Amino acid sequence: MSTTERTHPGPVTYVIVAALLAGLTAAEITAFYVHALRPVLVPVLLLLSAAKFTLVVLFYMHLAFDRWAYGAVFAFQLLIAIAVVLSLGALFAAFWALP
Amino acid sequence: MAVAHRLPTPSDASYLAGRGLRGWLATVDHKRIAVLYGATALVFLLVGGVEALLMRLQLARPDNTFLPAGLYNALFTMHGTTMIFLVVMPLELGLFANFAVPLLIGARDVAFPRLNALSYWLFLAGALLLHASFFFGGAPDAGWFGYANLTERLYSPGPPLDFWVVGLLVLGTSTLMSGINFAVTIVNLRAPGMTFMRMPIFVWTILVTAVLILLAFPPLTVGLVLLFMDRFLGTRFYAATMGASPVLWQHLFWLFGHPEVYIMALPAFGIVSEVVPVFSRKPLYGYPMMAYSTALIGFLSYGVWGHHMFAVGMGPAAESAFAITSMLIAIPTGIKIFTWIATLWGGELRFSTAFLFALGLILEFTIGGLSGIMHAAVPIDLQQTDSYFVVAHLHYVLFGGAMFGILAALFYWWPKITGTLLDERLGKLQFWLTIVGFNGTFFPMHILGAEGMPRRIYRYAPGLGWDVWNLVATVSAFVLALSFAVLLVNLWRTCRRRPPAPADPWDGRTLEWWTSSPPPEWNFTRIPRVRVRDPFWELKSGERRTATTAAQRPALEPEPPEAIHAPAPSIWPLVAAAGLLVAGIGVLTRLAVSVLGLGSLLLAVLALGFEHRRFGERDQEPAAVAGVDSRKLGLWAFVGSESVFFASLISTYLVYKGHDLSGPSAAQVLEIPLTSFSTFVLLMSSLLMVLALAALERGAVRASRAWLLGTAALGLVFLGGQAYEFTHFYHEGVALQTNLFSQTFYTLVGFHGLHVAVGVLWLLALVVASFAGRLGPERHLAVELAGIYWHFVDIVWIVIFTLVYLLEGVAGT
Repeated sequence: MSTTERTHPGPVTYVIVAALLAGLTAAEITAFYVHALRPVLVPVLLLLSAAKFTLVVLFYMHLAFDRWAYGAVFAFQLLIAIAVVLSLGALFAAFWALP
Repeated sequence: MAVAHRLPTPSDASYLAGRGLRGWLATVDHKRIAVLYGATALVFLLVGGVEALLMRLQLARPDNTFLPAGLYNALFTMHGTTMIFLVVMPLELGLFANFAVPLLIGARDVAFPRLNALSYWLFLAGALLLHASFFFGGAPDAGWFGYANLTERLYSPGPPLDFWVVGLLVLGTSTLMSGINFAVTIVNLRAPGMTFMRMPIFVWTILVTAVLILLAFPPLTVGLVLLFMDRFLGTRFYAATMGASPVLWQHLFWLFGHPEVYIMALPAFGIVSEVVPVFSRKPLYGYPMMAYSTALIGFLSYGVWGHHMFAVGMGPAAESAFAITSMLIAIPTGIKIFTWIATLWGGELRFSTAFLFALGLILEFTIGGLSGIMHAAVPIDLQQTDSYFVVAHLHYVLFGGAMFGILAALFYWWPKITGTLLDERLGKLQFWLTIVGFNGTFFPMHILGAEGMPRRIYRYAPGLGWDVWNLVATVSAFVLALSFAVLLVNLWRTCRRRPPAPADPWDGRTLEWWTSSPPPEWNFTRIPRVRVRDPFWELKSGERRTATTAAQRPALEPEPPEAIHAPAPSIWPLVAAAGLLVAGIGVLTRLAVSVLGLGSLLLAVLALGFEHRRFGERDQEPAAVAGVDSRKLGLWAFVGSESVFFASLISTYLVYKGHDLSGPSAAQVLEIPLTSFSTFVLLMSSLLMVLALAALERGAVRASRAWLLGTAALGLVFLGGQAYEFTHFYHEGVALQTNLFSQTFYTLVGFHGLHVAVGVLWLLALVVASFAGRLGPERHLAVELAGIYWHFVDIVWIVIFTLVYLLEGVAGT
């Protein structure tokens, strides 16, 4: 028996998402070259990157439409992955700072 | 290659019967695979045991000259590696979880039987690679946790350590496959009515263990890959002379290493949680607390690795944090111990061998746990680090906590596995010899450690007060060896005399006792309907007393199925593993040989991917209790694990950022316009990928094929851009070995490119299948799975583009 996920979106939705991804990438590159944005560039770039990441995961990888179990499996491991980056970053920042 | 499309009859033979050697080599039956794991691990138990005895002989008296220093180093390295990777894990997961989990949850097999077979053969290939170094210059001798920079080529020349690295990489791959398989099996293949809170605790522990495997092995893989590059490609990921730090290895290793302790301990806890209620004739006390504490131990175990590194000097904040989490983990562990004791309290205890070993675990692990809490306190840990106290502690945890559980499981499930009963008198003799030998060997090590004896010394001077306790430990080690000799006699006698075991020899509580001993190939002719915890016990007690109403009583499905679908045997997992073994040896000795091995591996993987069509197996699996597709769930688990892999690589890049001792820096060489174009290409390839899926879902096969080809083409354009970038950097003087930036950059971006290349191959395989008429709308899932992988590669690049390119560019201006 097939699984009972909701229907996947059609080509129109996919193209709209692609346009958004292209627009966000253009925004990233533009922001990178605009010197006035330098003071806030790091959070801006991280936000734009997170938006692109979320769009792909929700629409192209279908987590917005599939069973929540898939999303839960991925989200849990993704959180651990983020924790690994943050904790190793913090640990080494403290380690390098030691006399 | 027969597929069982027929009704089973009472005269059907057990899974052990018939089909000769080829039947075993090509088996995909979880029970046969379990037996293969068990037999292999038993051999390595003997190897690891002899290694330990040789070490103890050397330490029996001061100034002993029985072994030279180098051989002693090799022995303790291989003893640790063997016992952890080739004995404890394969016995707990390969043998007992493989055999028991499908039976305990009322399933006919694991979710991915061929993957299960591949896991076993890869395990064997990894084990052989680890030991192949004996034929190429000796054994590795850098310790089982291979601290940098002892493992660098300068200090460990020659091939032995290379085999250690490659062997562990193969073993890690095998374990990861098993982890995915167990997780999906438990989530998706439980019998109707078996909710999570009705699962046997052993199944809970295997589920948490599987999750830990997915999260813990990727950092080890990254650490080993970096070490491999240091040894073969001239990088210096762990060398302070380059601005790097050997502490990175310790972090990556212990990020794996401490969860690994619970990967070994939790299944044993699960075994005790099955054995204690059966032999106390009581339900497990505090089932929910036991389940939650299992999950909590798993979660916390990922946050305590730093307590292995207090001696490094990580700074007070980090050390305090790790001290607190290490103390916290004692709480759920303590809950388990009190829960077992509460189950024993007031029970009708039957002191069988399995029960005795379960009691032994409770006692010995408690001792190991108490000395473990001492290590959570930084000042005490600093005194104990690298002393024999640690050796005592880890053996009370791993032998007391894991091996006692394994021995309990052996006596408990042996009747189900073989249909015969082990001799209880010999079993009890073995138990008492184990108790005496184990405590006699390892308890004195607490004293030796407290008196200052360092671990890993091969000789000590007389008059230090260590002579007597070392002699006691050595004599006791031989008593422990005698206990295993008694076990071998017991196994041999039982196999020869074959005293028959009934289906339910212990008056069991769980579903495995509902089927015959040994079970038929398909486990259950009719799948159980579960309505309570301990379903088989409730069924029996419902028959004995009428407290349980008929509506609550567990039952079998009303009618047997018209046909039971068993997956066909396959020789390709064996061929794939053999190919990887040859490739591994070839990489370390002669590259031409590795091409042969990789060719076999590729052929076998392709055959594995397509052979189920030849056997007429269905693409859509039967209804699963969780209502999700096993293949999709497995792939999500895999990409989740891959995200930890990339997180480890990204961390390596970030922690070394700005620590180069020489230029050029990232900001001087990175080209944002070119990479922006590549990023755009990869994003658009994701659009084509989903359009391919949408086309196939609406039946437009040709359009789908065109979109797939387009996706692969854009993937190749991306790879071309990366090749151009690498070449350009190289001409600019930025080689792999130039500085920390170049090492970490090439490695991170290169591994991403490797994933893109695998994705392109996957897409091209789908295109070929489409041209061959094997990719119709009914197989849209095949495209969706490839798509999930492809989009994952895409999101990894989104992160890399921001962290490595854009933010690096910002930093440079």
